Amino acid sequence: MSNVSNVPPRGLFARLFEPPRIGAMAPGAKFIVYTLLLAWSAFVLFPIYWLLITSVKSAADVNGGPVYIPFVDFIPSLHAWRELFVVDYADTLRAYVNSIIISLAATALAVLIGSMAAYALARIRYQPNLITILLFVLVMAAALFAIGSYGVDWRLVLVVGVGIFYFLSKAVASRVHVPLANGDILFWMISQRILAPIVVVVPIYMMFQSVRMLDTHLAIILTYAVVNLPIVIWLMYDFFNSIPKDLEESAQLDGATMIMTFREIVLPLSRAGLAATTLLVMILCWNEYLLALFLSTAKAQTMPILVAAMNAGERGILWWSMSVVIIVMIIPVVFMAIVLQRYISKGVLLGAVKG
Amino acid sequence: MNTDMTSASETDTLASDAKRLSIRKMNKHYGEFHAVKDLDIEVEPGEFLVLLGPSGCGKSTALRMIAGLEEITSGEVIMGDRDVTHVLPKYRDIAMVFQSYALYPHKTVAENIGFPLKVTGVPEEQRNKAVFDAAAQVQMETLLERFPRELSGGQRQRVALARAIIRRPSAFLMDEPLSNLDAKLRGFMRAELKHMQHELGVTTIYVTHDQIEAMTLAHRVAIMKDGELQQLGTPAEVYTNPVNLFVAGFMGSPPMNFLEGNVSESGLQVGNDKIPLDGVEDGMAITLGFRPEDASVVEAGQGRFDAMVYTAEMTGDLTLVTVKHGSSILTIKMPKDFMVDYNQNVGIQFDSELSYLFSTGDGARLKANVVDS
Repeated sequence: MSNVSNVPPRGLFARLFEPPRIGAMAPGAKFIVYTLLLAWSAFVLFPIYWLLITSVKSAADVNGGPVYIPFVDFIPSLHAWRELFVVDYADTLRAYVNSIIISLAATALAVLIGSMAAYALARIRYQPNLITILLFVLVMAAALFAIGSYGVDWRLVLVVGVGIFYFLSKAVASRVHVPLANGDILFWMISQRILAPIVVVVPIYMMFQSVRMLDTHLAIILTYAVVNLPIVIWLMYDFFNSIPKDLEESAQLDGATMIMTFREIVLPLSRAGLAATTLLVMILCWNEYLLALFLSTAKAQTMPILVAAMNAGERGILWWSMSVVIIVMIIPVVFMAIVLQRYISKGVLLGAVKG
Repeated sequence: MNTDMTSASETDTLASDAKRLSIRKMNKHYGEFHAVKDLDIEVEPGEFLVLLGPSGCGKSTALRMIAGLEEITSGEVIMGDRDVTHVLPKYRDIAMVFQSYALYPHKTVAENIGFPLKVTGVPEEQRNKAVFDAAAQVQMETLLERFPRELSGGQRQRVALARAIIRRPSAFLMDEPLSNLDAKLRGFMRAELKHMQHELGVTTIYVTHDQIEAMTLAHRVAIMKDGELQQLGTPAEVYTNPVNLFVAGFMGSPPMNFLEGNVSESGLQVGNDKIPLDGVEDGMAITLGFRPEDASVVEAGQGRFDAMVYTAEMTGDLTLVTVKHGSSILTIKMPKDFMVDYNQNVGIQFDSELSYLFSTGDGARLKANVVDS
């Protein structure tokens, strides 16, 4: 034993910061890592703790300077909970139900349409002509200008517009070909998300105002679905692309229809991606504030609006009520994450091709 | 075709279902790129045809067109008496084995094998029996509940085969099915595949870049290069009677030896030696070819030309002697006890009957031969 152990004696620094054996962690490194992790955990978890205790504080406890530990620093009371769930329960419940309906519907819509679009982009080669698209935009702009500025009858504009577009696309686009590919379409979709929402919020407001749909569930659902489509397409495109094409071709040769192939092969294999995407879109919808602020006034108000409303009363900021609303807002998201996390597992594709 | 095939169709009842597969003037263009050029092949009922060629020669594209996975630019695919050129893959009654096996990772072995029957609505009881039979045929009946990820490469290959045979299709298409296996298993699976095809008597088209696989499996081999069919014939035909330089160089391991040069005074000058030729004109750029097993290493000055020994490798059953002549590297197969020193000057003798002459420019085989002096 002593014949072969030829390790020179180590200094203090080496003993602290060199692993004692292969696969182990140096004691010094361990200390630093756990200290950092603990610090970060405290940093992340403290706001949640603060929410919990604030929700059971009285106005005096909040306004009289910071107090930290219930039963020691202050006597907790459920007055804020009582106010929101007993006195004003109708308002709270309505916002809660609105949020649930809008998030679920918008997410379902976005994931359904987005994943179909992503699948098409991943599997079908498109070659749109840039010239045709430009012509379409040009004719469209001219048509809107004619209706808006000169009050031309929209039916006339439609007929003439279609005619001009058809003629131009035959005459110009068939000769000048600037082909785009799937990558360009994908980038176009994602670019929609680069735009700051504040830029489009006023046009969206006016649009729904003109069709008298402000403060309805449908308006918010449609807007959320459209806003989140790029994310769904982007994420699901990558997911569908990672499924080997061989599997679908094999299924086709085995006699499966497109629908069967999608149901039997593609869907089960993309379950993890769908779960992750659903969760992400769900959270984005659940927490969305800006669009909801513009599109809802009373009936369709969502939880984030309710949170913000705690700030506007004549009694100042109702920190305790705000905390209660935020806590009940967090619960369903955590629940969703736990449910969907089962599906977000790696290695579903293992064994499909090669080893 | 040959005796092998007739016995297959006589001994097996399934062979009566075997269909002729005709590929007529099949073309594939990808924009400017002409991937498959006027491919014309008649595959006999029950035949094992191998499409052989280097990567990118269009063989896989041709197979995918036959399967219906790729659109045909022009030409026809006829199965039996049905024109399937524009028929959807699922109506072609074809089973395909992919290089990747394409097993469904979320389904068990049994579900994978039974999938073709499930989608066509075969009742479960009947399906289970068929799954068991097909699995038994590839010795996988004990692993039916496993998932693909729990199987070895060879076992996955067997599952893919079982999935292909369960439906009793009119034709098998195989796209390099053995190339993901290690060498030993590949040899074993090759034999098994050949036996199975013989038992089932199903018309098969098999794509590979491995000429040994082609030689051992095929009733006939179709050799392709740059999208064009070079030669179609039995393995023996393409080996002993190659139509051009490409086929000659592609078949055989180690490959055929080549000596390039210009004809002068009715002969090919090789160093200080001259190999007399018949049927060539002076000034022609020609390539002389002979196979490693048709030549021998002799004393310097005793052969048709002299060369320098580069290496000698004992492979077990024989010794491969590599000699260098100018820029040409030649390989000669010698008996296993043959001994020779490195850098030694030796003579190379070869059989004039078993040598080939090609035009260097277009690679065409010349009606010319080496004259015994």
